[in-house]
Amino acid sequence: MIRNYIKTAFRNLWRHKAFSVINITGLSVALGSCMLILLYTMDEVSYDRFNLNKDKIYRLVSTSTGPTGEVSKTASTGMMPGPAFKQQIPEIENFVRLQENSFIVKRGNDVFNQDALYADESFFSIFSFPTLRGDPKTALKDIHSVVLSEEVAEKYFGKQDAVGRVLDLKVNDAFQPFTVSAVVKQSPQNSSVKIKMLVPMKFAQSQFNDTQWFNFFLNTFFTVKPGSNLKAVEAKINSVFNRDAAAQQKEMAQKYGFKDKVKFSLQPLLQMHTSTDYPSDNGLKDASNPVYSYILTGIAVFILLIACINFINLTVARSLKRAKEIGIRKVVGGMRGQLVMQFLGESFILSFIAFLLAILLVQLALPVFNDLANKALAFSYLLSPKLVIGYIAIFLLTGLLAGFYPALVLSGFNPVQTLYNRQYFAGKNYLSKGLVVLQFTLATFFIISTITIYSQFNYLMHFDLGYDAKNVVSVNAAGAADEQKLELFKTELLKNTGIKSVTADQGGRWGTIAHINNGQQTNFDIKHIDEEYLSLFKIPIVKGRNFSKDMVSDSSNSVLVNETFAKQAGWRNPIGQVVDFFYSNKKYNVIGVVKDYHFASLSEKIGPELFSMNPKYPYGNIYIKISAKNSAEALNYIEKEFRQIFPFKPYQHTFIEAQNAENYDKEAKWKQIVTFSALLTIFISCIGLFGLAALSAERRKKEIGIRKVLGASVEGIVRKLSTDFLKLVIISSVVAIPAAWWAMHKWLENYPYRIKINSWIFLLAAALVMLIALVTVSFQSIRAALRNPVNSLRSE
Amino acid sequence: MSKNEEGSVMIKITDMEKFYRTEEVETIALNKLSIHVKTGEFVAIMGPSGCGKSTLLNILGMLDDPDEGSYIFNGIEVAHFTERKRADLRKHNIGFVFQSFNLIDELTVFENVELPLIYTGVPSSERVKRVEEVLDKMQIMHRRNHYPQQLSGGQQQRVAIARAVVNKPKLILADEPTGNLDSTNGNDVMELLTDLNEQGTTIVMVTHSEHDARYSHRIIRLLDGQAVVENIMI
Repeated sequence: MIRNYIKTAFRNLWRHKAFSVINITGLSVALGSCMLILLYTMDEVSYDRFNLNKDKIYRLVSTSTGPTGEVSKTASTGMMPGPAFKQQIPEIENFVRLQENSFIVKRGNDVFNQDALYADESFFSIFSFPTLRGDPKTALKDIHSVVLSEEVAEKYFGKQDAVGRVLDLKVNDAFQPFTVSAVVKQSPQNSSVKIKMLVPMKFAQSQFNDTQWFNFFLNTFFTVKPGSNLKAVEAKINSVFNRDAAAQQKEMAQKYGFKDKVKFSLQPLLQMHTSTDYPSDNGLKDASNPVYSYILTGIAVFILLIACINFINLTVARSLKRAKEIGIRKVVGGMRGQLVMQFLGESFILSFIAFLLAILLVQLALPVFNDLANKALAFSYLLSPKLVIGYIAIFLLTGLLAGFYPALVLSGFNPVQTLYNRQYFAGKNYLSKGLVVLQFTLATFFIISTITIYSQFNYLMHFDLGYDAKNVVSVNAAGAADEQKLELFKTELLKNTGIKSVTADQGGRWGTIAHINNGQQTNFDIKHIDEEYLSLFKIPIVKGRNFSKDMVSDSSNSVLVNETFAKQAGWRNPIGQVVDFFYSNKKYNVIGVVKDYHFASLSEKIGPELFSMNPKYPYGNIYIKISAKNSAEALNYIEKEFRQIFPFKPYQHTFIEAQNAENYDKEAKWKQIVTFSALLTIFISCIGLFGLAALSAERRKKEIGIRKVLGASVEGIVRKLSTDFLKLVIISSVVAIPAAWWAMHKWLENYPYRIKINSWIFLLAAALVMLIALVTVSFQSIRAALRNPVNSLRSE
Repeated sequence: MSKNEEGSVMIKITDMEKFYRTEEVETIALNKLSIHVKTGEFVAIMGPSGCGKSTLLNILGMLDDPDEGSYIFNGIEVAHFTERKRADLRKHNIGFVFQSFNLIDELTVFENVELPLIYTGVPSSERVKRVEEVLDKMQIMHRRNHYPQQLSGGQQQRVAIARAVVNKPKLILADEPTGNLDSTNGNDVMELLTDLNEQGTTIVMVTHSEHDARYSHRIIRLLDGQAVVENIMI
């Protein structure tokens, strides 16, 4: 019997090729999307699971509650907690601290920037990173040892064995030799700890021995004895902290007015990757927000739903053609259950073909998907047993979802009616229409989302930031440019006609606290600049004056503030006001107010900012404005001069505009993801609509023939046939618009600077969907209307 | 006609009523109809369009159920059997032949004839034997791998009859079996039905054709859902 079913199914697929193609295309695209998303989600939840100690590794995290109740959370600690807690709390087996750092590495005459992690000796006994060469137990024992990943080892030593060889790392102003003690395999891509180079924590301590409990700059991990009561361990941690850090806390309160209450807790390693409270940062990689998984899963489910709706609608619409077969099968003894099984079987066969195609599609789409999702997923991951089970589940679900309703409807046909051609769909087909509405609602929703995200992205990219970043190149001097060197570099650069001006700041983003208005504490961003900075970036001074080299006091006790700073300080006349850096016992006078500009990304509102020109701080970033013409030549010149003035510094340049655009990488990715989703949903919806329109035209062949005989025009018939479908698309817009408005409104709330959702977005999306649907339906309607009525009436 | 007189009653219908209702109209298809058919009989049912012939045939074939009255098939009251029970009884006892052949286009001649055996759970080797036997008997063996649309009307009806008899049913219900055929093919089909009847199969045939009806032993004439005349063929 099964052979008979399979035979009939394949012959049916073959005979109705157009419908088979529509269904298989839709389902394979949908299944492919689901497989990719499943792969993504599995990867997300697999993070750090390869560690053998995964269930007993915890990261030390803390919350600080300020005097007014504001809570800040951090997953960073200083150097103190690790050894202190291990020593005093018996449940804690071991600890390892990881601190992010970057070294300049010298090999021959070449210098490189090398990302690294400081790690305690215990690293390899806590985390599971297999070594290729060297002994993991002793790898970080010697203060001047380094552990390299196979990739980094190859970069510096080629194919030769790196263990025992020496690498020169820049420490302060000189290069020091470090011996490679081990080479580890490339870290798994689903690891939050990514090893490039490990340097012993002991070395970091030799440079800066941190004894302050209230420093927060590295990650501390513990292994906790299995079966320990975690709450009790946390309580012990906090009691040790309260006792050991009491003196420092008192001092902090007296000296800096720091009155926050710090409370530690333990974050399980496996919760780290997708934690939004305590993300994997500060040297840990790939922090992820679970919301991406939810949104991507939602999109995949929608696409699958749309493809299944196509299958349901086309199968039910085509059922009249199969009615005779059903009647015969019933007459010769087929039971309803057997027919249900037959039709379900057909949907499974179709899903299976689509499933095979989907595997092919996944392979083709994986590189694009990896790029979109910031992943490095390989096709081979598809073969992991859990994923295979997941795929089979999706396949079965699809087969059932798509096949169940048609199977139920078709098997319920009355043989008397089907065999005497009395089977009509006299009803209004509300279900089928409802499903079309659902499809186009989703398509319209995605189109509105796409347009909104594009508009917001465009808005952010072209936002007037309040400064001119055009043709400004940033060169990283890695803190090596003191005042004299900067002057020399400037002088040399300005000899080139392609270079207009040069300035510098300390690089990175810094914040600090100070007292204003006689003791009022305030937080703000601080930037050390030179006197050219504001003019190069064309940032106006609204009150007072800029720094000047001619005024000696400017570099020692003058500052500029931005408008927000002055406003928050409540200064009517900011010039001459005092900012007291109480912790260093230094007071500065405000000499000018700078017009507000967006010094951070647009995901933040402009906050208070203060500028100083203190020469004791070295400059980290040098900004060079070049002329638009001959920029390549100017860039070559900059590099040449940099290498001469800053030997043993890796040269790196970026354009500020490109750097700013990187702030919106996330938006750019979402733009692409939603565009893809919109294209897929509209494509699958339209092929479904195309099929339905074809079937409708076929079913109404006789009606069209009669109308034509009675004098209806081709345009009239096309209008009649198309209007029915367009009505459904209009209803879809009505449903989709409020939903999309709500969702986009919520999304835009994340941006302090955002577009207003205008009605044109909705009208454009609705018009677009209507147009696409009209083109799709018209093709079939015109074909039907042009048919010779004699033929259609004769066949009746 | 002693054989018929002596045969036991296979079908006994008493006071049968069947209505078709729409929102506005109620049509009476069978109006207190009472007839019987004996085992081994060949009965023709005649009457004008809309008199209830096909409705009667569908009820006899257990494809439809009556609104009122009794239907005793081989001594069992089946008038209000569930669909499942009717299907079970049907597949073991009744074969159908239709005016429009009703073959499944996606299946070959062989597969069409094999279908009832599949539903009655006959093993594969036995099915091949029985299908070949019946195709041979219907002289359509050479077309076994063709699809219905590759056959002439007469050949299609032979396949349909082959399918109706492959399960060796006790009763064959034929609904205008020659309606779509020319006279030569029509006569062939009637000869086939007569042969089957002579081998013991009971046949009830709905027809408009007096010529075809003459092949039967008895004609029941219906009008407005009632049997008005019974002619016994001599």
